[in-house]
Amino acid sequence: MTETQLIEHEGSSRRSMLKFLIGAFGGLVALALGIPLIGTIIGSSFRLNKPQWAKVGDITSLAIDQPANLKFPFKTEDAYLRETTIHDVWVVKHSSSEITVFSPICPHLGCHYDWHADGSEFICPCHGSVYSMTGKVLGGPAPRPLDTLAWKLEGNVLAVEWETFKVGIRQKIRT
Amino acid sequence: MFSKILNWINDRWPLNAVIRWSLEEEMPGGTSYAYVFGSCVLLIFLLQVITGLWQLLYFVPTVDRGYTSLNYLRTEIAFGWLIHGLHYWGASAMIILVGLHILQVYVWGAYKNPRQLTWLIGVGNLLLTLSLGFTGPVLPWDERGFWEAEVAVSSAGTIPILGTLARNLLQGSPILGQLTLSRFFFLHVGILPGILILFVLLHIVAFRKSGISGPWNETKRKRIGSFWPDQVFKDATVMTFIFVVLVGLAAYWRAPFAGPLDILQTFYIPKPEWYFLFFYQTLKAFHGVLEPIGTIGIPLIVTLLFVLLPFYDPGPERNPGRRPVAMTCFFIFIAWVLTMAVLGFYSKPAATVAGTQTVTTAATQTVPSSPLEPSSQTPSAAKPGSQLLNSLGCMACHRVDGKGGAIGPEFAAALLKGKSREWLITQIRNPKAHFPNSIMPAFSSLTDEQVNDVIDFLLNIAQSEKASPASITKATPPRTGSAVTPAGAAPSAAVVTGRQGPPGPASFVIGNVDLGEYLFKQNCEQCHGPQGKDKVTNPGSTDGTVPPLNPIDPTLFNKNAQAFVNNIDPYIQHGSIPAGPNPVLRMLAFGDTQSLTQQMITNVEAYVLQLNGVDRAQLSDPGLQPHLFFWLVVLAGFAILVGGAGIRLARGRRENPKGTKPL
Repeated sequence: MTETQLIEHEGSSRRSMLKFLIGAFGGLVALALGIPLIGTIIGSSFRLNKPQWAKVGDITSLAIDQPANLKFPFKTEDAYLRETTIHDVWVVKHSSSEITVFSPICPHLGCHYDWHADGSEFICPCHGSVYSMTGKVLGGPAPRPLDTLAWKLEGNVLAVEWETFKVGIRQKIRT
Repeated sequence: MFSKILNWINDRWPLNAVIRWSLEEEMPGGTSYAYVFGSCVLLIFLLQVITGLWQLLYFVPTVDRGYTSLNYLRTEIAFGWLIHGLHYWGASAMIILVGLHILQVYVWGAYKNPRQLTWLIGVGNLLLTLSLGFTGPVLPWDERGFWEAEVAVSSAGTIPILGTLARNLLQGSPILGQLTLSRFFFLHVGILPGILILFVLLHIVAFRKSGISGPWNETKRKRIGSFWPDQVFKDATVMTFIFVVLVGLAAYWRAPFAGPLDILQTFYIPKPEWYFLFFYQTLKAFHGVLEPIGTIGIPLIVTLLFVLLPFYDPGPERNPGRRPVAMTCFFIFIAWVLTMAVLGFYSKPAATVAGTQTVTTAATQTVPSSPLEPSSQTPSAAKPGSQLLNSLGCMACHRVDGKGGAIGPEFAAALLKGKSREWLITQIRNPKAHFPNSIMPAFSSLTDEQVNDVIDFLLNIAQSEKASPASITKATPPRTGSAVTPAGAAPSAAVVTGRQGPPGPASFVIGNVDLGEYLFKQNCEQCHGPQGKDKVTNPGSTDGTVPPLNPIDPTLFNKNAQAFVNNIDPYIQHGSIPAGPNPVLRMLAFGDTQSLTQQMITNVEAYVLQLNGVDRAQLSDPGLQPHLFFWLVVLAGFAILVGGAGIRLARGRRENPKGTKPL
């Protein structure tokens, strides 16, 4: 046997071992890096918004069956930013103890709609969804009625449970 | 010396081989201006990479500083206007050129065997380009960027089954905020350009392997052209032209300043960039449960039609005249995109179409989170309330005992009769709760004590005037009365006093003129007149009229936008009381009372400056004046054209010394 043949002969099992190890090392690094990289991308993506009760204000004086946009300070937590921002809700008072509270977010694609008193409609400026005072869809692309929020009265002061829902779908699912 | 260096390099790195590989190519059918699109896309892409990187020297991707940091680059850094302008217009140019390139390949049938893979990579490039065009405008997180992100993330959420996953991953946190912006930044600046660079290289390698497809006519194909320098000259000519156009656009047609984000500005109508208008308009046709068909179904189907094209249309025929089905589809597609884009461009929200646009109070209304305790003060202790009525500017709109403005109703017994303390609290804190169309600012930052003082005063009026209801008729609407100008009082003597204070946060931000105009109409026009032009009478003031804003008092005017804003901002923030014995109209403290948000004040200021011929976004350090720079580039471009033509002629003469026309 020549020297070259000897090396090749010796190598056949050695080489397959080396190939296996190269692949294994590569796989180890790919997994040890790849899984954490994906984990970091997911990050806080799937944390849920905790619904929070917030006091909106005195509603004694609201006119019956006339939507009012009430704004209130709300402590938001945006990752490492913590600040008080202004949120708003649409409140329709039916009687002194019966009211409806609508989330201000259009269930179509998340814009903020407005009340148009002359037509007695809520209209979203983004894609033209139209809702009645009861939140029913009257026109436009909205997939479901306006989202209502849970509320309670502490005396005359309205408190609402602020939460957001997935938009663009038929079901009302909390985000 | 130079050739020695080249040899040294070539011994160690295949420089000549790479250059030959990239430049030496025979072109069946000869060179053509129809083939320039690919090279132009490459040029624009490199331009986008460079200008994009350079913007990172100044731009920070945060929800509170993104817009201001970008504007700092755009207005206060030498050539910042150019860097940003090239990137902004380059994005549009790239989408147009990628579109033309892909349409040309379609018409020429150049996606057919053996170029299927080149086509596939090309479709990948189109999608990456669109993704970049989609993630980019979000980054300043301004009025435009935020809403685009909101609609984008929401659209992703409508994907069946995978919607939640897509939405959550894109949003990055339970709310649309900083982490969402970071993700768009990560995609736009890191991931997407990285993949695109790789895809462009793959595309060029695939293209070099099969070369251009050339004309479909076999006899025409016999004529052979060369890529270098003939085609490169044509490429360079068009590239130079495009570059000069981009510089011209950056110099003369600036990207808009969308204004800082303010979610409470519900009168802002978000619309996507022009290149997504066709999709935006198409989306409107799919209502309710059909929504996912619009948001996901159509993009998916169109993408699949593009991706699979070489496989469901494998026939070798390339002549468009003999591909009637393909050409019909082509024209239908073009017609759809163009029609929808034009409709989308001119579309208005339903509210405006129906003519039912309501008057929105431009007010940040904060309702106190705790109920107000009824005041223990007796009506006789109502003195602080009367002072507050003056200092808060209530009297600018309301009258007491015949004195005051005529915009709101008079504070008389008839008005206040039967109103409870609670009703009045809500009316002061949040007038829209009672009157959705009210233009009264919400005095949300007053302390409970102040509100109670004002109400004590009002209830006192209600009681005291019960005896003399005739006093209601004493009211004289000041706007119809003649100007009360004391004789000899020069207008310049109209020293304005009021609560003084420094400019607020609004003064350092560049607002949006259009939003400012809308807000001006809602909040300022009553006293300052349409476009700030009218001389609205103000009885009891030294001037006799409200100071006009157009043109504004010369002592407030300044050619420098920042100095101008610093002059007017304190008035908008803290209000002012005109000089005079008893001025009826006073400037409201829009900032201090939070009846306008700082973002809204920013927009109003941009509008007031524009009324006076000063650009709020003026360049304080342009490097070179944009128009001068543009004409220098035009000159340079012309010189390059001449040089390129020279090379081409010289080569032709060398190869055909007898003067025969080169092939």
